[in-house]
Amino acid sequence: MPIADEQFAGLRKGLLEFAILTFVSGRASAYVGDILEALAPTPFATQEGTLYPLLSKLRREEFVDYQWVESGQGPPRKYYQLTDKGSGRLGELAAYWRHLTSTLESLGR
Amino acid sequence: MERVVTINLNGNSYQLEEPAYDALRAYMTRAEAALGANPDKAEIVRDLEQAIADKCGSYLSPGKSVVSASDMSRILGEMGPVEGEAEAGAQQQQSGAAPNHEPFRPNRRLYRIYDNGAWTGVSAGMAAYAGIDVAWVRIFWIVSGLFTGGFTCLVYLVMIFAVPVASTSEELAAAHGAPFNAQEVIDRAKREYGRFTETSTANWRSEERRWRRSWRQQQRTWDADRGAGATQAAAAPAQPVGYVERMFAGLFAFVFSIITAALLIAFLIAFFSLLSSGSVLGWTPPGDAPTWLVLIVLAIAYAAISSPFSALQRTSYATLSGRRTGGATDGLATIAIVVLVGAFAWVYSPDARAFMEQGYVVVRDFVTYWDRQW
Repeated sequence: MPIADEQFAGLRKGLLEFAILTFVSGRASAYVGDILEALAPTPFATQEGTLYPLLSKLRREEFVDYQWVESGQGPPRKYYQLTDKGSGRLGELAAYWRHLTSTLESLGR
Repeated sequence: MERVVTINLNGNSYQLEEPAYDALRAYMTRAEAALGANPDKAEIVRDLEQAIADKCGSYLSPGKSVVSASDMSRILGEMGPVEGEAEAGAQQQQSGAAPNHEPFRPNRRLYRIYDNGAWTGVSAGMAAYAGIDVAWVRIFWIVSGLFTGGFTCLVYLVMIFAVPVASTSEELAAAHGAPFNAQEVIDRAKREYGRFTETSTANWRSEERRWRRSWRQQQRTWDADRGAGATQAAAAPAQPVGYVERMFAGLFAFVFSIITAALLIAFLIAFFSLLSSGSVLGWTPPGDAPTWLVLIVLAIAYAAISSPFSALQRTSYATLSGRRTGGATDGLATIAIVVLVGAFAWVYSPDARAFMEQGYVVVRDFVTYWDRQW
């Protein structure tokens, strides 16, 4: 498994955006802690150093937006939710992903 | 003892040990560099600061108000390297996701660590090196000291001098052999270590050569100002030096301190026995040489013999401290050894005790004589 981890890192990295959009689409809103926690046990495990720049890019591309929400303890947090443009993008990604996998399967036949 | 830096992370103040602060600043500098021209740079930096602040909070408690260097290295390890968008594409092919990075392990080295409750830092350093609790190391020293009749105490004493103190975050990381994820710090450590090992050995040698030259000059005109020669000799490299150099400097500092202390003791003994009995260890000055002349000759001989050793001692301490002048440490060390030896002699040797009492009588007589005359 560690070997696969190392070898397919680039593949996962390219799909991280897909994974994040999928996760955010599944709930009303999510903050960074939720995302990190949810991804931690998956192959898409990531860290703040990667996630913050990526989220800011997604926000700039208007796929996600955030709202400041007061938290019980500590300072207010940014809660991200998917925009309409974001769900459109997610649909495109999912369709393209299906296209890729079916292509790979048909190539093997 | 560690200096504490108070910082402001997104409007909240946190107290960090200085190496922790250095590591954090290196991380943030690198983050900003990696984000480059990212239009949301300021916002991402704020988010990162907030995330670090949250993590700092989880390492603190009512009984612990300062974030230590090892806490910070763990926090930055959890944060992972910050990836800019330009870089992200390039890294995609190479190494991929941050958690899979092979953590950098610096060479594990024995350092002294001044941490909570450490007295000299020797035990804490050994504990960090071996990865065990410091209490075991302390118990080891006490038990072995009792069983070997104090021999290991001597080893301990030498280690205080010979083992360098870990004073930077890189050195602390090396002391623990801990993975250290703040890339910037690693890069700097590698770079500087390479540079130091190249230059510092040469520096140390050239300082010695320079000292020897100045000493020869001094020998020729050695009734001239002795202080000038000593200051020049103390011009040790004013930059941090490598581990091995510091170890040798520490050993030299130890050895030369003992030599200068021994010379001072010999001088004091000779001086007072001349004053009280007119002879040194059974040797009487020839003919009718007056005592004052013999004393002056003795003082000059002492100065001539001890000056090279005290200059070497001074250079060693200056190398250790990394400052140009070693301050008063070398002189204080000599005095401390003399006082210690004197105290032991007073307690354990009746002869030495009698001699010291005699010395006191000589001084007292001299003072009354002085009072009467003037």
